[in-house]
Amino acid sequence: MPKKLRSTTPFAWAVALLSLALLAAACGGDDDSRGRSADDPFRVALVAPSARNDLAFTQSMFDSLARLSQDYNIDIQVTDGTFVIEDAAVAIRSYADDGFDMVIAHGSQYGGSVSEIAQDFPDTVFAWGTSRDTFGLSNVYSYSVASEQGGYVNGVLGARLTESGTIGVVGPIEVGDIKAYIDGFVNGAADTDPSVTVNVNYIDSFSDVALAAEAAQAHVDAGADVMTGVSQMTVGATGVANEHGVYWFGAQSNQTPLGEDIVVASVVYSWEFQLSQILDDMLSGELNGRVIVADLANGGLRMVYNPNVLLSVEDRAAADAAEEGIKAGSISIGVG
Amino acid sequence: MDRRRFLTRLAGPGVLVGAVLAAAVIGAIMLAALGANPLEGYWALIEGAFGGGRKLADSALKAMPLLLVGVGITVSFRAGVINIGGEGQIIAGAILSTLFVMALPGIPRPLLLPLVVLVGAAGGALWGGMAGVLKAYAGVNEILSTIMLNIVAVQILNLLLRGPIMDPAEIERGSRIPQTVRLSSNADLPVLPGGTRLHLGVVIAVVMAAACYYLLFRTTQGLRIRAVGHNPYASRYAGMSIKRNIILALVYSGAMCGIAGVTLVFGSLGHRLATDGGATTFTGAAGFNGIVAALFGGLHPLWTIPAAFLFGALLVGANAMQRAVQVPAALILALNGLVVVFVVGTIRIRERLSAAARLESERVRSSSAGPAAEPDAVHEAPP
Repeated sequence: MPKKLRSTTPFAWAVALLSLALLAAACGGDDDSRGRSADDPFRVALVAPSARNDLAFTQSMFDSLARLSQDYNIDIQVTDGTFVIEDAAVAIRSYADDGFDMVIAHGSQYGGSVSEIAQDFPDTVFAWGTSRDTFGLSNVYSYSVASEQGGYVNGVLGARLTESGTIGVVGPIEVGDIKAYIDGFVNGAADTDPSVTVNVNYIDSFSDVALAAEAAQAHVDAGADVMTGVSQMTVGATGVANEHGVYWFGAQSNQTPLGEDIVVASVVYSWEFQLSQILDDMLSGELNGRVIVADLANGGLRMVYNPNVLLSVEDRAAADAAEEGIKAGSISIGVG
Repeated sequence: MDRRRFLTRLAGPGVLVGAVLAAAVIGAIMLAALGANPLEGYWALIEGAFGGGRKLADSALKAMPLLLVGVGITVSFRAGVINIGGEGQIIAGAILSTLFVMALPGIPRPLLLPLVVLVGAAGGALWGGMAGVLKAYAGVNEILSTIMLNIVAVQILNLLLRGPIMDPAEIERGSRIPQTVRLSSNADLPVLPGGTRLHLGVVIAVVMAAACYYLLFRTTQGLRIRAVGHNPYASRYAGMSIKRNIILALVYSGAMCGIAGVTLVFGSLGHRLATDGGATTFTGAAGFNGIVAALFGGLHPLWTIPAAFLFGALLVGANAMQRAVQVPAALILALNGLVVVFVVGTIRIRERLSAAARLESERVRSSSAGPAAEPDAVHEAPP
């Protein structure tokens, strides 16, 4: 049997080494150092689906954390690009295992994982958004935004700026704050000019930039001269908007850098409104898991206008009036 | 073993290591260009993948679907069928097993677990078999059909998760996240003792690799599959059915991918089927990365075990590196891609070296055992 021995020996070594590794994996635990003194910074981890510089959802949180670090003693670590839900779950659990004080699960699709993991780490705060569910756990804080408010203001301006009477909307998936923003935009446009047609297209992906570009092109071909969109994939859509000189309304982060000449306004999420409340709870030592919603009135949602795109006095006044009306409660958006 | 023979056998793995090192050098340049310390980054990668029980377990878990897909791909490639449909077959297995558990959540655990694996395998086999039938009876190129079936599977997944099997709580809240309810705990893949996340799915994957080895190299059916892949004309002349063996190869291949889908759902931390609309958000691109693992393992089911483990470790370690040196996620993808390109780029060289090693073995054997010695089983030789 010399032939068999020759071909099997290297493989046997490989399997033996692998088995030893797996045995070590099964039997070995890891040190879990959780001790921290009062002067130690809070260790905050961010797990997010797209890149931290996506000029959209993830960057809005990354920028908020950077701003928060000026007021709070926090040490921030980031794992971005985790579109794979299970990869994100592993990262969330790893941070909790490593003794981080707060883990931010920045994606509504991470909720299923958070609901399971948070039960195993009662001393770790999990901030999850956008969502409105804490699973009844005191260590889970859920954050969201009244994005329909910003969507409405953008819709008012969009309806006033369109000359063709057709507006295109590129959405990812019909969920949470995404749907709220788009519904708010549609209603804002309809309330301003009922004759305007708003074509909405959900492309079924947060990440498919090429598909977003195709959807935007379809809107342009259908006559749209104003467009908006939400989520990380809008980079593709803004490319098309730039190419055709179509006005663009941004959401989540300030998207002016995506089109200095076409981005009219952006609805910016300022997550520090929610995160500061959670950190204050942590400082007080009393966790009180709850839903925290940012809106135009409390400053968690802000309208940012691009100074390069000059609006007429009437248009800007209409947008400001819509914003003030929403804050005062005199305008009903009809969403949420 | 004489020195020349030893060096010939060592050359193949040496080229492999050289390819990985070359990729690492380019990666180091990219890390340095981004202002990160390459040594710190690579240490974090190694430590993140192998530094302790928990991390080894994470690497093994990441390798699990790659291994299952890899051995499935090995079976089909051995039959001369290029199965690019791992993604769709994973999804088919995941969907069918999820539907099964949602329909019958109360089945006792000892019975439910094997049933779930079988149903998942059936789902993947069905999806793979469709491509097989299309190729065998309609002459449809399997690369086209499997890729198209991937897309169909994703759309079915989206359709189901948006409506019929969406968590009712999501509809009630209006958040409408495309995910199922938390599935019956009776179907959770049991976690192995030791305090890590390592679960039964890893054991299943290794057992399936061994089973595929047995199928390919120790059964008549396996011989037929390999013979058809090696030379279909000669196989037909010998009385083998080309169509039957093509279909069977894709059925076996799909079944392995289907089981990968089962492990991804019932071994997940969320214990549910979820996506954000794209295929890879559920599969983690295991359907494609498994092909790389299979090629890395020389299209040998048993060698695919360490190959998949290495790729799993690389993926886990890369995430740790990202955390340690805080580089953009895109760089991590680029590093993984570099390793794949360099390793796959050396396949031809390694094949030639492997052939040289075999010839050397035969030369030594014939000089020691005389002219009656049989040649090595070509397909069984390690990569």
